[in-house]
Amino acid sequence: MEPKTKRFKAGSAAALADERIQANLAGLYSGFHSARISAASATSGWEELRERGRRIKAHVIENLDYYLDLLARNVEKAGGRVFFARDADEASNYVIGVAKSRNIDLVIKSKSMLSEEMGLNDRLESEGIEPVETDLGEYIVQLAGDTPFHIIAPAIHKSRGEVSDLFAQKLGSPAYDDIEDLTREARRQLRGKFMTAGMGVTGANFLVAETGTVTLVTNEGNGRMCTSMPKVHVAIAGMEKVVPSIEDLALFLRLLIRSATGQMVSSYVTAVTGPRKQDEEDGPEEFHLVIVDNGRSRILADPDLRESLYCLRCGACLNACPVYRKVGGHAYGWVYPGPIGAVVSPMLTGLSDGKDLPYASTLCGACKEACPVKIDIPRMLLYLRKELTEGDEKASSNLGERIAMKGWKAAASTDKTMRAANLLARLGAPIASKMPGPMSGWTDHREAPRAARPFRSRWQELKDQ
Amino acid sequence: MSDREAFLQSIRGALGRQDSGLTSDAPTSAGPPDQLEERARRASEIASRDADNLFDVLSNVAAGAGWNVAHVPDARAAGEYVLKLAQDLEARSAVYSLHPVVQAAIGEADFDTAGITTIPVALDRDDPDSDEDADRARLRSIMEAADLGVTGVDYAIAETGTCVIIPRRGVSRLVSLLPPVHVAIVERGQALPSLDELFTLRRDDFIRGDFGSYMNLITGPSRTADIEYTIVTGVHGPGEVHMVLVG
Repeated sequence: MEPKTKRFKAGSAAALADERIQANLAGLYSGFHSARISAASATSGWEELRERGRRIKAHVIENLDYYLDLLARNVEKAGGRVFFARDADEASNYVIGVAKSRNIDLVIKSKSMLSEEMGLNDRLESEGIEPVETDLGEYIVQLAGDTPFHIIAPAIHKSRGEVSDLFAQKLGSPAYDDIEDLTREARRQLRGKFMTAGMGVTGANFLVAETGTVTLVTNEGNGRMCTSMPKVHVAIAGMEKVVPSIEDLALFLRLLIRSATGQMVSSYVTAVTGPRKQDEEDGPEEFHLVIVDNGRSRILADPDLRESLYCLRCGACLNACPVYRKVGGHAYGWVYPGPIGAVVSPMLTGLSDGKDLPYASTLCGACKEACPVKIDIPRMLLYLRKELTEGDEKASSNLGERIAMKGWKAAASTDKTMRAANLLARLGAPIASKMPGPMSGWTDHREAPRAARPFRSRWQELKDQ
Repeated sequence: MSDREAFLQSIRGALGRQDSGLTSDAPTSAGPPDQLEERARRASEIASRDADNLFDVLSNVAAGAGWNVAHVPDARAAGEYVLKLAQDLEARSAVYSLHPVVQAAIGEADFDTAGITTIPVALDRDDPDSDEDADRARLRSIMEAADLGVTGVDYAIAETGTCVIIPRRGVSRLVSLLPPVHVAIVERGQALPSLDELFTLRRDDFIRGDFGSYMNLITGPSRTADIEYTIVTGVHGPGEVHMVLVG
């Protein structure tokens, strides 16, 4: 997918001015966000589960080479094939190669954010292979020539009227007022594809190293179709998706699903280990797992950003984020929106293209609080801002801001200037509600924060008590 | 160096690691690997010892998850339940998997008199002339046209109201997916307290070399909320699901 991460400001202004998008976004909070909170409080020991999930993810990422090797060997033992792709092109080429080797011209797909990253649909189409998205939201997005708006609700920005018009225009179906009728129409259209497609392409929510198992979490049943009906199943997965043991799935399914939709478990959880076995009634003859880097090793190489690879892609931080809830998914300009997108998109597409994204946050901390594996997103956003101001010429933001930040650093490093600033803080004054000069761009759209009361004065008070 | 080795090497480089061993033991989410057998034994024990309680919890949670739940005394009553349902649906054909409890239930009820065809989904492996691909395609069309799919389960999960089906010979992946209505027959002793016990037992299966290529956890009907957050059931899989607890 072509990054449009440079256009965050324009994109967010457009979303803010769009009443329908604003109305649809409001539903995220009352829907997914509240459901997540209820599900978490209904799960005994939720905080401990998060802690444990985080520890396991940290362990896997620190030993990623070991677990990927183990995973690959176990997929092969189960009769599957494994391909390691350094980038999006290598991954797409592999999928195309498999399709061509079997003369496949129709590919059914279950939702995969990675395939958006790869631009797989465009690549397949240019080779004369028809890709069909089968998740209802993704199907709508594909028919509209649009991009996903939310990690788990890709078409949530569209109203039923828009979907009805789209179906009428693209599928020749009658106008429907009822969402149930629209869903039935999609079912009818897609059943035919399921019955005839030669290949199913899916993502993966978890890859179990010990057993070589690909795990999919779905509600519609399209994931089950894609892994059962065609003769070939290709699963594509980011290299960070590994968990050590199948026993870890109990924990991670709870964390993922309860954080994503607030369900205790999704309608379907599907575990695939290689192609169908000799004695089994159905399932694919061929199974391929494509493990993709595509910029992830850049994140891995930076200890300050490494924890962004713990992400389960549940979308909870999007729903919790006051910025995402106003500007929506398209403003972020690439596959991964919201707080986690503001960290990983600049790293995967290049910092210079995504330089507005780390600033698309109030640093309120709601994302970290919502994250099922406690990823410290605010810390990483601050880190990226620092990188942008201190980084090399190419990656840096505008010169004025860099100088202003450097000046602040210089002030903060001399005790006398710092005390003067602290004095202002003690008086409870904002540093400056609108900053002049080099910082004006920054404060045009934000209130400058009140400085926190300094530690030194709070400590004095405590001692006095 | 192979592509794979180069890939793994670049990860090692990014991590600043020299060798390929584990830096520490994996933090366990269930318990130590060497106590797996003991954990698995305990899980099976709980399933039989607490069978009544687990059935009670399961039926409550499953109803909340969108299943129509019925509790019947035996396979014969399960067969009657399925027959009555098929008649209410004005079904003309039902497909079923070869779980023994399903065969017993279907065998006990008089579908023929009701004019309902029942078809087991299993390849004919005895006929050396049969074309497996053609046979598979034929069964698939039958399932696609059926009004009802009846299966047993391998486990049920009380925590989440889930049925677990592990496909194998006589147990197709598709009986519970293609028809618009699915009936899952759960036997006493098959209910586990939580997902933890399920995955412990599956890990034990794996170690014993009895894993299969597939497993489905099914919890309520197929559903979506992709348009305006409105929940619609039956988007690709069954829109109506029944859980029949036996015994």
